[in-house]
Parts: sequence; structure tokens; C-alpha cells
Amino acid sequence: MNSNLKNMIVLGCRLILGIMFIYASLDKIAHPEEFAKQIGYYKALPFGLENTVAIILPWSELIIGLCFLVGIFVDGATLLSIIMMIVFILMISQAMLRGIDITCGCFKVSAEGEKLGLNTILRDIIFLAMSFVVLNRQERKFEFLPKYD
Amino acid sequence: MFRVPLNQMAALILVSLVVGIITNSIRSDGISFFAKEIEVAEDINDVSGEPVAITLTQAKELFDQGVIFIDARDDEYFADGHIKNAWNSGFFMELMFRLDSLQSRNDPVVVYCSDDECGSSEELAYDLFNEGFNKLMVFQGGWIEWTGIGYPIE
Repeated sequence: MNSNLKNMIVLGCRLILGIMFIYASLDKIAHPEEFAKQIGYYKALPFGLENTVAIILPWSELIIGLCFLVGIFVDGATLLSIIMMIVFILMISQAMLRGIDITCGCFKVSAEGEKLGLNTILRDIIFLAMSFVVLNRQERKFEFLPKYD
Repeated sequence: MFRVPLNQMAALILVSLVVGIITNSIRSDGISFFAKEIEVAEDINDVSGEPVAITLTQAKELFDQGVIFIDARDDEYFADGHIKNAWNSGFFMELMFRLDSLQSRNDPVVVYCSDDECGSSEELAYDLFNEGFNKLMVFQGGWIEWTGIGYPIE
């Protein structure tokens, strides 16, 4: 594969991941209480930590999304994206295995949100794969900080 | 220093923490740092507002009064067995329509799922609360506690 094509693929993954993370963060930032409840329904966090996560996670998503799009700290954003996707996949899987019938809370935190399902897990696996594509890139096109030259 | 990916990651986490905590503390709809458990009802006849939790004894009392029970579990679990006369939650809009056709939004409704380790009943209760239902009770012991003591099922 020539390097131009590879760069385009990496850039495409960055764009998709960037837009996805920013889109996913907005509804959560707008409705922290609903998002905290949504995390609580997964019944996976002790000590009421769902509120702590609901305060911080949406901002991480927004910042990671901006990093992907703008080309700043792409390595750090990619690592965080990989960790998040693995955690999301584990959280969704444990809820499904225990038969917890809830909405995902992935993009929308309202009652109209999508139900958890195999397609939710599959989607996160695709995002995980895209993150690995970005992580393993050979060239750093359209990246501005930090400077490597 | 920021050429090291792990340092970048740490910086991004730190920025998220700072922005998250500051915005949460200044916004009017900010939340507490740790979530509180859903409150347990002291008197089941005096419930209004946010959903409350009820015990097995309280659930049985409401069951004997003929209060509507809604099963928030997945369809297949409901089909396998449920509390006698309980409704399947099904589609949310349909459920609301069905409730509205039988009673007012100030009348009691009990929601349950498998046990206190499943969040579906709480989710359904809060979804109904957001639609204006305000006498919602979550039977946290759910299916497992109910069947454990041999109360009526079908």
C-alpha cells in the first residue's frame, strides 16, 4: 500500500473517531444527572462513583475528539480511546450477560436512547480497530503538537 | 516531555478532570461527586415525586391492593415467568398509553426486574417519572426475592 493511501486511511479514522467522540460527549455534558443515572443502571461501579464518572468522562470524550480532529496529542488521545473502548465493551458485555435490559447511554442519555445489544459491542470493536490503525501509523500527517521534526 | 504518549494521556486526563470538576461546580444543574442510593419508602401510601425503593413486605401489600406491577426485564425473561398480573414493559409509548387508559399519573405503579443488581427497573421508573408519573415504586428485591418466598407468579 502506498504511503499516501495509508495516510488517508489514518486521517479518515481520525476524522470519524473525532466526530464520534465529540458527538457522544454533547448530550452527556448537557445532562449530567441523567448520564450519571444511566451509568448507575449498569450496576458495575461501587460507592456511587457513577456521578464522578459522569462529571469527568464526557469532557474526556470532547477533548479526545478535538485532539483527533485538530491533530494535537494524537498518541495520547489514541491510547485513551483504546482504553475507553475496552472498558465500554466490558461494561456492555457484563450488563448483557446479567440480563440487564437497559438503554446504552452511549450517545443519547434520554429514554429514546438505543437498547444494549450485540450491535453496540460490534460498533465499539470497530472504533477500537480504528484507534489501533491510528496508533500504528508510520507518518504524522496533519499533526501539530508535539512537533517531532 | 509530551513526545511520550503516556505523558500526553496523563495530560489529557488531567485537563478533563479540571474542566469537569470546575464546570460541574459552577453550573446550576451540577451533581454531587458521589451518587446516593435510591431512597426507601417509609410509608407506601405517602409516595410522590421521585421514584422510591420498596421492600418485599411493602411490595406484597401493594400487590394485595391490586396495584399495577411492571416487569422491566427483557421479553424472554417475562415470558418465562413473572409476578402474577404484572405487565411486560414492552415499548415505552405503548406502556404509557396503557397506564393512562387505566389510571391517573398520580396513582401507584410498582416496577421490578430480577434483583437489586439490575438497573432496568430504576431506568424505567425514572423514564416514567420524567413523563409526569409521580407515584413510582421500585421493588428492588425483584423476581428473585418474590419467587424465593413463593409469592404468586404466572
